Amino acid sequence: MNLTTKRTLGVVAAVAISFGSVVATSAQAAPKSVTLAFESPLTGSEAGLGQDELLGTQTALYEYNLTNPTVKVNLLTADDQADSSQSPGVALGLAQNKAVIGVVGSCCSGATKAAFPAFKAGRLTVISPSATNATLTDPKSSVNGFPFFHRVAATDAFQGPALARYANKGITSPKDYLIDDASTYGAGLKALSTPSLKKAGVSIVGSDTVIAPATDYSATASKVVASHANVVIYFGYYSDAGKLKKALDLAGYKGAYASGDGTDDLGYITSAGKESAQGTLITSQSVPFELAAPASVLADFTKATKLASPASHAYVTQAYNATNVFLQCIKEGHTTRSSIQSCVATETFTDVTGAKFNFTRYGDIAQGAPVGAYIVKDNDIIPVGNA
Amino acid sequence: MNFAVVGSQFFPLLINGLALGFIYVLVSVGYTMVYGVLRLINFANSEIFMLGTFATSIVSTTVFKFNIDSHPSHGMKLLLVLLCCLLASMVTSAVVAVLVELIAYRRLRTKGANRLGSLISAIGTSIVLSEGVRILTHSIPVASPRVLSKFYVFKIHGVGLRIDQMLTIVFGFILFFAVDRFVTKTRLGKAIRAVSMSEENSRLMGINLNRVISLTFLIGGLVTGAAAFMYMTVYEQTVFNVGFNIGIAAFTAAVLGGIGNLRGAFYGGLALGLAEEFFSVLLGSQWKEITVFVVLVLVLLLRPNGLFGEAVQQTRV
Repeated sequence: MNLTTKRTLGVVAAVAISFGSVVATSAQAAPKSVTLAFESPLTGSEAGLGQDELLGTQTALYEYNLTNPTVKVNLLTADDQADSSQSPGVALGLAQNKAVIGVVGSCCSGATKAAFPAFKAGRLTVISPSATNATLTDPKSSVNGFPFFHRVAATDAFQGPALARYANKGITSPKDYLIDDASTYGAGLKALSTPSLKKAGVSIVGSDTVIAPATDYSATASKVVASHANVVIYFGYYSDAGKLKKALDLAGYKGAYASGDGTDDLGYITSAGKESAQGTLITSQSVPFELAAPASVLADFTKATKLASPASHAYVTQAYNATNVFLQCIKEGHTTRSSIQSCVATETFTDVTGAKFNFTRYGDIAQGAPVGAYIVKDNDIIPVGNA
Repeated sequence: MNFAVVGSQFFPLLINGLALGFIYVLVSVGYTMVYGVLRLINFANSEIFMLGTFATSIVSTTVFKFNIDSHPSHGMKLLLVLLCCLLASMVTSAVVAVLVELIAYRRLRTKGANRLGSLISAIGTSIVLSEGVRILTHSIPVASPRVLSKFYVFKIHGVGLRIDQMLTIVFGFILFFAVDRFVTKTRLGKAIRAVSMSEENSRLMGINLNRVISLTFLIGGLVTGAAAFMYMTVYEQTVFNVGFNIGIAAFTAAVLGGIGNLRGAFYGGLALGLAEEFFSVLLGSQWKEITVFVVLVLVLLLRPNGLFGEAVQQTRV
């Protein structure tokens, strides 16, 4: 073997070794499995909201696993009870868990906002199916979730005016009484509905704040009756919305009763009682999964969740879309927190209807999203179009 | 201040406040009786109440098969359902109260443990019961289907008294009166009062201390269970921590009236129920609790032993 041959072999060997090491490094860098977390209330008074959304995430993961992917995705569920005193601890646990590369959740604005510091510290990307408080993505707000927080539902800046419209639809000389639960979500939605009510010439005859959870709504009901209101709008979650409606009926109130997407849960009918709940008007950014999803996805829903139909389960569509954002990024090879964050912020995604969407710089859907109108009938919450 | 609403809604507010007040009265009887004999705040009383509410709900839904589609009962069936629910609630609360005394307090007492030990034991028992139910129910509120149709017994010029409110007020008054008579007039009641005056002298007089203390917990449990039944009849919903707010309110009522004083619990409970209703209207619901506690502090500044309280050394059940 001459010197030239030796040098050639040496270069080839060096290239081979380098290539091998690169291949080995790439193989090590691409994990066989990653973990997505689902954070929402799974127990507690608002558990229905989280349990519904989990169905959408389970369906998306079921479909992903059917494709026999190179990177397996594990699901870690975390229960924040929609409680802003509990969610920081839950979020910290997820942020410290190195296997978790993204979070679907939380359902509720107060819990979401309280979790921001932990998620920001852990540089963990979050996509909420239903946290709708406008300040969460407001660049002027000191507590926004930029750049890690995103959501796939319209904000309350859209729901507030829609709720004001829907609650007073068809009522001549409406006199509204507004009640909120003092939560981030409830107080925020009330503040965003009030200007629309005033602009529409609605007379606001009274306002009250009852810190939820509360036991006795009889004093508030007395105030409503004394005000001669013919529309009551409650800004809060379903459990207390039901208690208030029951107290209003017992006090002799006969007018319309409306609430936002926090009441879009069958637990409302249980809480209010079937008779009392009838005719309640609800607005929600939730898109009924049974209307939005093609037949094949609905079949997957049944296989993944063992439920016959997604009807009456709120925000399944949004949870499915939020989970698929992460899954698309993982399919494309983004398996670290930083690359997931960059993928979510910059790429375009496809929702369950086949429509394309992407996020704005501060985390909202650039294309906007509709606000649906619903009504309680028998034991169900029925969609009746857009609010 | 919304005086106009208070004027137009005075009677509904008064009736709502009295109904809520009688629930507070009965729960505070549980606190005040135990305090009278043991000088101990039985923090587990709020969970004894909570278990009573669940017993009521379980009997109506599992024994009598009420569900969201059911209609309220009438006639003899209604009477049977209400009696069974009341009995279940009272017995559950009483049994738990006696067990709490046996397990959490008796040994500490007989071994002469520090009062702080009993206090921690009381708080611990409260947490164990509450968390146990939280785990069993996944913290999800349990709505109890309507058993009693809420019609108005009478209505004059739009002001009336609902059947559930009437039951709560009348039954609450009768029960309180019965307990008061029992404590002041019967032999066992006199034994309870003797122990509350002096444990040592009662022992020397031949009173069986353990029996009297168990009896006190039993009566406190029965009355708290009755309050739980009435709460479910009026509000039709419970949750694992339902006892917390009610317990704080009833304890406040007991302190307001003079803890250890049975009649103080009566006036304290009614005052608190009425104050909550009227302050909610006058200042707004979000101010209700602040104003109630400000009033409590003011009362205690002027009368440190409560409205009807005696000096601690002279406290009587």
